[in-house]
Amino acid sequence: MHELAIAQAILDRAKAASERNGGGRVTKIGLRIGEISGVEPDALAFGIEALSKNTPFEGLALEIEQPRRKLRCAACAAEFEPEAFAYACPACQNLSSECIAGNELDVSFIELEDPPCA
Amino acid sequence: MRVAVEEKVLSENDKLAIGLRERFRRNKVFCVNLISSPGSGKTALLERTLEALPKSAKVAVLTGDIQTENDARRLAHAGFPVKQITTGGTCHLDASMIIKALADWDLATIDILFVENVGNLVCPTSYDLGEHAKIVVLSVTEGEDKPLKYPSIFAVSELCIINKIDLLPYVSFALDEALANVRQVHPGMAVVQTSCTKREGLDGWLQWIEQRRAQAMAE
Repeated sequence: MHELAIAQAILDRAKAASERNGGGRVTKIGLRIGEISGVEPDALAFGIEALSKNTPFEGLALEIEQPRRKLRCAACAAEFEPEAFAYACPACQNLSSECIAGNELDVSFIELEDPPCA
Repeated sequence: MRVAVEEKVLSENDKLAIGLRERFRRNKVFCVNLISSPGSGKTALLERTLEALPKSAKVAVLTGDIQTENDARRLAHAGFPVKQITTGGTCHLDASMIIKALADWDLATIDILFVENVGNLVCPTSYDLGEHAKIVVLSVTEGEDKPLKYPSIFAVSELCIINKIDLLPYVSFALDEALANVRQVHPGMAVVQTSCTKREGLDGWLQWIEQRRAQAMAE
């Protein structure tokens, strides 16, 4: 259960991004959590909710994108989504591949409250 | 108003880990990060490893647990520098804990640094400690399907140590199946089989360290 530490890191990043963009209240955070990132989205959402209580973040929405694991074959460069953890390239059966998606843990965007009319 | 951020969440840790890796490189320190479930025998493996090394070896150990100094006390018997990191509840070591623990050690006096992570097959996977290699320990009192249940740690580790092999006759652990499962999640993964109580298989492990260290020093 390392999601709480990650939740805090996400809120820190959202705060910094908000400050770089006029300091408005953050209403939504967009996250990219790959299927093999080792992070459980529900636990993370719970952590963010708990940490944002009684702060300007309270009530913020999350939009979570969960990229599937994708590999590129080292021999024939075919790109494929392996079934479970079976690694063989479906095109040439080669076992050596590089991970090109699925391990992300990124803040992709934030949404800020519109500033009050002047 | 939507603002693109596009930042990696763990990049703070990654930055610290890059700094550590650079310090290891400069001081010619070879560092490995041992990861397993609680009770698989990481500390026993390190005890046997330290005993097998000549007293002149420049070896040091950082050992992580949530509470107690027990592991550091056990490991200190061999006479090498050992430091306990108690995380106080955190389920993994991160790069900042390693930096703090190394603060009063002179890295130039260390050739090999063993980091024993908190017993956990999940969270340590996500935290780079600047190590040269992660090593996963699986003991035969666990299920042979551990690699399939916790594939990420087996996929990112370079070596799998199958420990407590002296107990094979008494447990239902299917060794061939375990090896097939390891190879399924990590084709070509190096595997060493050990028994720390009967002192078996340690040569293979020591050999792996020597070879991997030579490779790291040549990089």
